[in-house]
Amino acid sequence: MQQPAQEVMSTAEEQEKWLADAVALVQHNAFFMHRALDANNLRDALKYSAQMLSELRTSKLSPQKYYELYMRTFDELRMLEVFFKEESKRGRTNADLYELVQHAGNILPRLYLLCTVGSVYIKSKEAPAKDVLKDLVEMSRGVQHPIRGLFLRSYLSQISRDKLPDVGSEFEGEGGNVMDAVEFVLQNFTEMNKLWVRMQHQGPAREKEKREKERSELRELVGKNLHVLSQLEGVDLEMYKEVVLPRVLEQVVNCKDELAQYYLMDCIIQVFPDDFHLQTLETLLAACPQLQSTVDIKTVMSQLMERLSNYAASSPEVLPEFLQVEAFTKLSNAVVKVIEAQPDMPLVGAVSLHVALLTFILRVHIDRLDYVDQVLGGCVKKLEGKGKVKDNKATKQLVALLTAPLEKYNDVVTMLKLANYSKVMAHLDYETNKVMATVIIQSIMKNGTYITTADKVDALFELLRELIKDGEGLPAEEVDEEDFKEEQNLVARLVHMLVNPDPDEMFKILTTARKHFRQGGPRRLEYTLAPLVFSASKLVRSLQGREASEDSPVSLEKIFQFLHKTVEDLSMVPAPELALRLYLQCAEAASDCNMEPVAYEFFTQAFVIYEEEIADSKAQVTAIHLIIGTLQRTQVFGVENRDTLTHKATGYSAKLLKKPDQCRAVFACSHLFWVDDEGGVKDGERVLLCLKRALRIANAAQQMSSATRGSNGPITLFVEILNKYLYYYEKGNPQVTSNVIQGLLELIQTEMQSENTVQDPGVDAFFASTIRYIQYQKLKTDEVGERYAAIQT
Amino acid sequence: MSARKRTLLKVIILGDSGVGKTSLMNQYVNKKFTAQYKATIGADFLTKEVQVEDRLVTMQIWDTAGQERFQSLGVAFYRGADCCVLVYDVNVMKSFDNLENWRAEFLIQASPQDPENFPFVVLGNKVDVDGGNSRVVSEKKAKQWCTAHGNIPYFETSAKEDYNVDAAFQCIAKNALKNETEEEIYLPDTIDVTQNRPTKSSACEC
Repeated sequence: MQQPAQEVMSTAEEQEKWLADAVALVQHNAFFMHRALDANNLRDALKYSAQMLSELRTSKLSPQKYYELYMRTFDELRMLEVFFKEESKRGRTNADLYELVQHAGNILPRLYLLCTVGSVYIKSKEAPAKDVLKDLVEMSRGVQHPIRGLFLRSYLSQISRDKLPDVGSEFEGEGGNVMDAVEFVLQNFTEMNKLWVRMQHQGPAREKEKREKERSELRELVGKNLHVLSQLEGVDLEMYKEVVLPRVLEQVVNCKDELAQYYLMDCIIQVFPDDFHLQTLETLLAACPQLQSTVDIKTVMSQLMERLSNYAASSPEVLPEFLQVEAFTKLSNAVVKVIEAQPDMPLVGAVSLHVALLTFILRVHIDRLDYVDQVLGGCVKKLEGKGKVKDNKATKQLVALLTAPLEKYNDVVTMLKLANYSKVMAHLDYETNKVMATVIIQSIMKNGTYITTADKVDALFELLRELIKDGEGLPAEEVDEEDFKEEQNLVARLVHMLVNPDPDEMFKILTTARKHFRQGGPRRLEYTLAPLVFSASKLVRSLQGREASEDSPVSLEKIFQFLHKTVEDLSMVPAPELALRLYLQCAEAASDCNMEPVAYEFFTQAFVIYEEEIADSKAQVTAIHLIIGTLQRTQVFGVENRDTLTHKATGYSAKLLKKPDQCRAVFACSHLFWVDDEGGVKDGERVLLCLKRALRIANAAQQMSSATRGSNGPITLFVEILNKYLYYYEKGNPQVTSNVIQGLLELIQTEMQSENTVQDPGVDAFFASTIRYIQYQKLKTDEVGERYAAIQT
Repeated sequence: MSARKRTLLKVIILGDSGVGKTSLMNQYVNKKFTAQYKATIGADFLTKEVQVEDRLVTMQIWDTAGQERFQSLGVAFYRGADCCVLVYDVNVMKSFDNLENWRAEFLIQASPQDPENFPFVVLGNKVDVDGGNSRVVSEKKAKQWCTAHGNIPYFETSAKEDYNVDAAFQCIAKNALKNETEEEIYLPDTIDVTQNRPTKSSACEC
């Protein structure tokens, strides 16, 4: 006994060997057949061709190997066919030949020969094509072995292909009419389908898988009949509708075979033209729920819808046809029915059916948003009670379902009109939902879609809720920090797309957005509140200078309150540095609106944060410079408030941790007392006080550094202070004299030559270019030049 | 090779789904055209008598399924082909890119004796579409490809408008006929002497 493993291994080799043996015998007999043909010996020709054809009686070969053998004999039979033609020219009637070949001993060779003669017989028109065809298709019943029968009938189909009494064919008329042609093909198809379906019941059950594979390989032989039908000139819509389709569908439904049903439906859809399908949709679709429940009907229907969608897209002229036959209603009803008929259909199947239907609408009924919503609604119904979808494939289809309209309409606002859109989205798992939300925001950005009302903002944020707040589906594991940052930045960018030129509505939009953002928790606020502050500041600008009207619900005061609260929320994060910046922004905006108390309040808040929450020395330096800069630009304050604030600013400047930082902050404070604009403060004395104080600090720093050596801070500081002096000198500050500058110049030169000083090319260059600047100014012939004349370099 | 074989030329048409293989064949053989798309299932041939120079030959033109799922039995019919016609749609880049695959696949499956010199003909179909405005494969590009693959003859065709179809098939027939690689001549190992038939020492009687 052989081991099973060896048996398996040898199968392929065995097949090769059997085929080789059979081919050798075919060649052998063909050789003698050719000799007989050359010798015009009909008897021998028939004998050897029959022997050759006997090889096709094998039951050992797999369909593909059998096909190879079949092609060998097929080629040889073409020679025989030519000979038969010559034979009839030599005076032998085809009827004679037709009789003669029937003497072959075995049925299979006999029928192959009969078909071959039949082909010549029809061609000669000595008998009506329809009669010969009918005879051949009837006789072929004699072979009931599935593979042999299928190939024999395939041969019949092949040789008769150009001899059917089709409309416009030379065989039409006496040879019959298109009805005969259709009958012939349908009959052959029916018989082939039976042979094919019956195969599944033959042989032992354990070989079922192998048999199914073989059946699958054989499918093209059956399907080819449908191809032949579709190529018939005489099969017009009428004929297709009345005869062809009902008869084919009858076979499909009644055979109750999963493989056959799926394949033949696929064939019907692919081989017949689009307009036929459109005009017979009801019939075709009615067959779908009648198929076996295991048939992958969703693929079949999806393919049909895809075909029709492409057809609709091919030309606008065909669209009225779709409307006329109410294609959408029919397809949509069919989808519902199929889903009902196949309760075991996996979720992915049902969803992909909806995707196909949606694609169809987007191609055919682009203006029918109600249809789109209806399809989404159908899907929602299927998903009811299922919660978050876990199946990956189904999720993919859901994403396709949601993405398709987004890509088609390129307008999120349109999506917001679809009541079922967010319901479908709610079934996506947390991660996918976030991806989808990202896609939506990207669509808004890409297409420049503005969201212009508070209601729409509400609806949109509802859609994007997984990005905006922690949902229920939040996974336990830590979210990737980078991803989180990226997502939140995207949400932040979205804020700038929420706009309406009407201040009332805009204010509502902002309030709505903040309401949603506040639910996002501290981690998100850091990203989302800042753009909101800027958006509100923009609104301030638009209202600025406008008369406040009594009945307007929005006022500058309200917006500033809104701003105040918004920045205040950042303390939850906490993000003091950001809050400080934003307070300063607000202060400046309030100043521009001439609202002194409000501006003062924002500064106060900024100082409170500085005092209480900013502890890092570097952050302090940055913060104090921001404060100084903003305060310098803020013109709204009266003397008293201004004094208080500048006093604080200079005070904190002098208290910074490092001397150089102190020095720089202090000389920066000098600008608080000298605003170069028209009508700006010009308090030369206090400027000088600041500069002197900065010098003192620089001196102190220098002494410290001589002690430690190596630090090159102080000299740079002196040069920087020198530049400040020059600035004020040039601006005409009477307190800054040429003597002071002269003194400072000498001080720096001495310091630089001091042996204690470490050489620093940077500082040297800085000083050198300062000197060059002075020299340059001296050359001027105007007031400035005169002024500089007093300085010696 | 027998005179009978000589007069029968086998031509295989290959190319992506929807490039117009069936339409080209129908236009050439039946002078008919339909714009409707109908998929082809399996392999199917039509014959046409054609005059090549001074010889009358029968061309057996095999149309094939462009969609793989409709060619489930394999491609045994490639065997013995005298010429292979590669078709693409000048408006679809992918169909042009795939010529490479179709050609390679044919050479592997048909395994002709002299693959280097096996006659191919390339047809760029659908040149009529949109007055040529939607075409994406230039004639130059197609010709370059043909030159690079052993000077394959190239034709721009329109099955719809019957443009260049006859000329293309005339060339196909000519090249198929030139394909002189003879089929292996079968010599029986043993001759059954018990059979009552005179046997000759030479196997070939031509």
